[in-house]
Amino acid sequence: MVLTIIGHPISTCTRRVKTVLIEKGVDYKLQTIDWANGEHKSEAHLQKQPFGQVPVLIDEDGFTLFESRAITRYIAAKYANQGTKLLPDPSDLKAVALLEQAASIEQADFDPYASGIAYEKVFYPRRGIPTDEKRLQQHIDTLNAKLDGYERILSKQKYLAGDELTVVDLWHLPYAEMSEKFAPQVWESHPKVNAWYKALKERPSWIKANEG
Amino acid sequence: MVLTIIGHPVSTCTRRVKTALYEKGVEFNLQVIDWPGGEHRTEAHLQKQPFGQVPVLIEEDGFILYESRAISRYIAAKYANQGTKLLPDPSDLKAVALFEQAASVELADFDPPASGLAYEKIIKPRTGLTTDEKRVQTLNETLKSKLDGYERILSKHKYLAGEELTLVDLFHLPYAATTELLAPELYESHPKVHAWYKELKERPSWKKANEGL
Repeated sequence: MVLTIIGHPISTCTRRVKTVLIEKGVDYKLQTIDWANGEHKSEAHLQKQPFGQVPVLIDEDGFTLFESRAITRYIAAKYANQGTKLLPDPSDLKAVALLEQAASIEQADFDPYASGIAYEKVFYPRRGIPTDEKRLQQHIDTLNAKLDGYERILSKQKYLAGDELTVVDLWHLPYAEMSEKFAPQVWESHPKVNAWYKALKERPSWIKANEG
Repeated sequence: MVLTIIGHPVSTCTRRVKTALYEKGVEFNLQVIDWPGGEHRTEAHLQKQPFGQVPVLIEEDGFILYESRAISRYIAAKYANQGTKLLPDPSDLKAVALFEQAASVELADFDPPASGLAYEKIIKPRTGLTTDEKRVQTLNETLKSKLDGYERILSKHKYLAGEELTLVDLFHLPYAATTELLAPELYESHPKVHAWYKELKERPSWKKANEGL
């Protein structure tokens, strides 16, 4: 069997994984989860992903893995010798540490606020929950402050873990795109961050991951 | 110079790092940041940590690293051959993947509601702000549903990445402890999670990291 991703074409986290699969030139099959009928909450799915989420990787030998960032790390490591280089040399402890620093920043300092904007403007309304304008503004204000930190980093080096692209830069794409749509001023007021994002979103892998 | 951690004894993230250092038996010097004096917002500090946060590691050779989880990972890798084994064998791609799965779950599923609750019920009152009770309720519900996932995981194996303790289990301690204080009923309703946490909090490294508090 070919590598399978259980996910959904519109899911941010599925597109995060697709981007890395495409960068590494790895064939895969997307098995679309039936959100509308609650497949993600079925016992069968919970056995694979105990939080009822997607994506889930089922590798060619049946190995099951969830969490888009873990899946992308696994793909980047397993296929280290093909496609775009996305991880530092594992024996370079300091380069690995700087990757982990960037990875932690993405999940702790970027994702909550950028995805928070997406939740208030898109995901909650889609579920019939109205936008909480106060909370939305808090997310925007916090993201703006966090991008000050990003601006400092990207004034010293080209990418978040150093001068080379890594998986961590790519992880930002789904919620960078959504937050930029609803709070463009936050991005425009941080020129180095804006330039870094604009270059990333032109990558063929991201464009392809968003097809359809 | 010995390894330095710029941080604060009370800081959750500093204690996360201290725990890892104690597990690995690594000597360090804690340089206490002047929080009330706004030292974290000075240009000197922002040059080291661009988000104005702690902890920050300054290595013996001057290498600077921030983010408590990155610091802990670096210590665990650099000192892989001493103290408690905290990381999987780097050449075992699947064990590493399961470690990364657990690490992502901690940051995406546990930390936001657990630290959010601590912020509303401990930090806000301490800083003269009003707790948002509606938010507390939402956070409680989210944390409860996330712990349902944890219960499933810990019903299959002893620790979060498999049968062996890893750094990721230890990452949970600071906000697992505040959860015990603020929402103990969540542990009562999740017995496997409770047993896992109760064992972790007895570790000498965690007790030592909290000395004096």
